[in-house]
Amino acid sequence: MITLAYTPFIDPLPIQSVWYLTLPLLALGVAMAYKAVRVRELSRYPAQVVMFTFQILGGVIALGLLAILVIDILLPLISPMPGA
Amino acid sequence: MTEPDAHQPQQSPQPGPQAATDPGPEAEGLNIPAGIAALLLPGAGQAVRGEPKRGLLAGVGVLLLFFGGMLIGGIDSIDSKEDRIWFFGQALVGPIAFVVDGVHQNAFKAFDEANPSGPRRSGRPDEHRVRDAAGRPVWAPLTREQIDSGMGPPNVKSVGRINEVGTLFCTIAGMLNLIVFLDALIPPVWRRGAGEAGGGA
Repeated sequence: MITLAYTPFIDPLPIQSVWYLTLPLLALGVAMAYKAVRVRELSRYPAQVVMFTFQILGGVIALGLLAILVIDILLPLISPMPGA
Repeated sequence: MTEPDAHQPQQSPQPGPQAATDPGPEAEGLNIPAGIAALLLPGAGQAVRGEPKRGLLAGVGVLLLFFGGMLIGGIDSIDSKEDRIWFFGQALVGPIAFVVDGVHQNAFKAFDEANPSGPRRSGRPDEHRVRDAAGRPVWAPLTREQIDSGMGPPNVKSVGRINEVGTLFCTIAGMLNLIVFLDALIPPVWRRGAGEAGGGA
């Protein structure tokens, strides 16, 4: 009999409302794989991974803030919606 | 570990008859066995080239993303039938992606009882997977009592943001593995024949 109990790697994690918390893991994985083939000396690998992880996080947060600026502030100024 | 001189980058190419000739794939750094190993397992190409630590780090990064995507979105993040375009990117992870997709299609999906000639699909919360008279997996409805007892399909289909994030993780893993594969097949000039030390200039 198969039941509806949560099974890791088979069922999705119940984090629908906090999905953005997965971004650090994404940034870390990208940094680990990319820097492994890019750094010249592996002794600098950990520092490079940490720095690149924060660069990705900073870039994504900056893009999010830019999207908020354009969609929530600039667009209503340029083209006010009736009733808004 | 160092490789023969033919792999060493030429710091100052000498003009003359030799410079005009094609140095061949070995001098260019093309390594077919490393490329084949990289296709089979992320990071294995670097190990074949004599850089096991670099290969391990690259492989861990790629597989962290791939299995991280599966952890977040479940096995439904890998689906060559319903998310074909995304699977093109995920397939770049290598045989692992095809094995996971094969398991997903054959062990978790089933045919619709009302449309047995249609494609396989994931189960709904009020269905369970059974075999019909021909031995094909089909979805059969559950009774209220069976649902209350905890019965259901073998996996929960991921939807919304979690499905998007899980699928994205696995696809980015494939795209990064393409970089890792190309690095194993044709490493940058500064690392050819450098070995585990990193070969930094």
